[in-house]
Amino acid sequence: MNQAVKWVFYLIVLLFLAAIPFLMSDFFTTMTTRVMYFSLMAISFAFLAGQVGLISLAVPAFLGVAGYTIAILETREILFFPYSAIAALGMVLVAAAIFGIFVNRSQGIYFLMLTLILGQIVWAVALQWASVTNGSNGLIGITRPEVMQFTVAGQEVGFYYILLLTVLLVTFGVLALTRSSFGMKLKGIRESESRMIMLGYPVMRMKWIAFMISAFIAGLSGIFLVYYIGVMHPSAIDLDSAAMVLIAVIFGGIYSIVGAIIGMGIVQTFEIFLSAFTSRYMIIIALMFLFVVMYAPKGIMGSIYKIKFMDALYQKWYTGRKKR
Amino acid sequence: MLITIVNGLTMASLLFIIAVGLNLSFALLRVANLAHGAFYLFGGYVGLSTMNYTDSWILAILVGGLVTGVLAFLLEFFLLRKVRGDNLRETLVTLSVAFILADLMIVIWGGNPRSIAYPEMLQGPVHLGGIVVPKLSVFIFIFAVVIGVLLWLLLNKTKIGMVIRAGVDDFEMVSALGTNIRFVFTAMFVVAGFLAGIVGVIGGSHLMMSPGDDWRILTYALLIIILGGMGSFGGSVIAALIMGFIYSFGSLYFPEFQLFLMFAPVALVLIFRPKGLFGRGLA
Repeated sequence: MNQAVKWVFYLIVLLFLAAIPFLMSDFFTTMTTRVMYFSLMAISFAFLAGQVGLISLAVPAFLGVAGYTIAILETREILFFPYSAIAALGMVLVAAAIFGIFVNRSQGIYFLMLTLILGQIVWAVALQWASVTNGSNGLIGITRPEVMQFTVAGQEVGFYYILLLTVLLVTFGVLALTRSSFGMKLKGIRESESRMIMLGYPVMRMKWIAFMISAFIAGLSGIFLVYYIGVMHPSAIDLDSAAMVLIAVIFGGIYSIVGAIIGMGIVQTFEIFLSAFTSRYMIIIALMFLFVVMYAPKGIMGSIYKIKFMDALYQKWYTGRKKR
Repeated sequence: MLITIVNGLTMASLLFIIAVGLNLSFALLRVANLAHGAFYLFGGYVGLSTMNYTDSWILAILVGGLVTGVLAFLLEFFLLRKVRGDNLRETLVTLSVAFILADLMIVIWGGNPRSIAYPEMLQGPVHLGGIVVPKLSVFIFIFAVVIGVLLWLLLNKTKIGMVIRAGVDDFEMVSALGTNIRFVFTAMFVVAGFLAGIVGVIGGSHLMMSPGDDWRILTYALLIIILGGMGSFGGSVIAALIMGFIYSFGSLYFPEFQLFLMFAPVALVLIFRPKGLFGRGLA
């Protein structure tokens, strides 16, 4: 694709996203916000799954660590924004560093099982440690910081714009990371871990760092979630939300960061529209998921990349080499 | 104190039967069957309905086990065989089946906690040398021992067991030697599902059944497998005992950190012996 056309395309998308609060209904804006903060979680998942080849079901656990840190600090009036958010991200990094040591001793299915257990543990602590987390009642009454409440032309857009900026920064940051030499080494681990060890790379440490990066992004998602809905509840980090992220990323195509965002948009849209008809929409989403896993394992972006110039883009972005 | 030990033993017995089936099918097929917890709960609910219609507890156990056995067969034969060889996709298939089953159970049996009534013969306490123990706990313990001994005999003293043990070590070689290893895979998977269903009914009588229990049980079973070692029968016994006692003592003394405590031995094992207590480590 022509460079100029590409930039014009990006600009139009950006302008449209920025104009959503003014052009569209409140419902649509809310939906977009929801998709955006869940997209952060999807990016966090897709980064680990696509680049390093580790399927982590503990992504919502880090959302929970960040969300609960903010909720506990602010409802007990210990710390406030921005210090509470910094503390939350610090907690996430500490938790990820500790968990990372354990889970990185395993690979493949074992990694998936361990992270599943880890996610369940964090969920159980959130549910059982009632004196701190308020158990199944959840923590309520977290207010959005004033920084996020500015208005433009009478429309309250502060939160939306800060979230949009974060999502864009994270997306481009992760895309840049996948193309950096560090990203290349991660891909090397994905393709053949033993060969990377043999070549003398500190594989364990690199996987550990990748795990922390992923957790950091999930933590960002947790901060926005807790400020947006103002409630922190164990159901936000249960296995269903891990499944939601997993399903979204598989829909979008596991090797694609952009696909993760698109997939999350699709899943959230389905959830909203199906929940209007039935409260048991998970059956339908799970059936679709089963279908995708069985018949289209590379997801939607996988199908799109079959188109010729998109394939060139794919090669450039994700495999790090031009197609000969 | 004593009653806590009894509770721990009962829980360990239940967890052992669940985990050993999952462990064997995992070691043989290399598929972490994440639908195993859903099988447990589904078996329990089917048992509940059977109990309501026929008033026969034995029949409820059998029907619960058979239904989950059939479910396991369908999952293995129609879904897993299509994606055989791709570990990740196999696991994702079982995960999606688990979600479908979980939602289906809420549709059919509702979201309220339920409990299966069990026969009068097993109600009330029994005195064992000065200790008062619920009859049901004794039954569950004996049941687990019987199942354990039967499985051990099957694995170590019969020709089928030989094939299974060989398959755990090197299933390519076994199939090259002329055994229909695919059939053994399916059979093992079905047996694991059958056991999960049986325990579902018994566990549904001993504990409560409510949505979400499927993931709880699956977490316990996975913890036991990782602690005991993949594909290790003895490891499952020891790990189930450890987990059962942590469960009962944890809920008594540290109710807020009970699940967290269950993770502690697993974390230690992962640091010092990544293959599990008795695992030989599978590729």
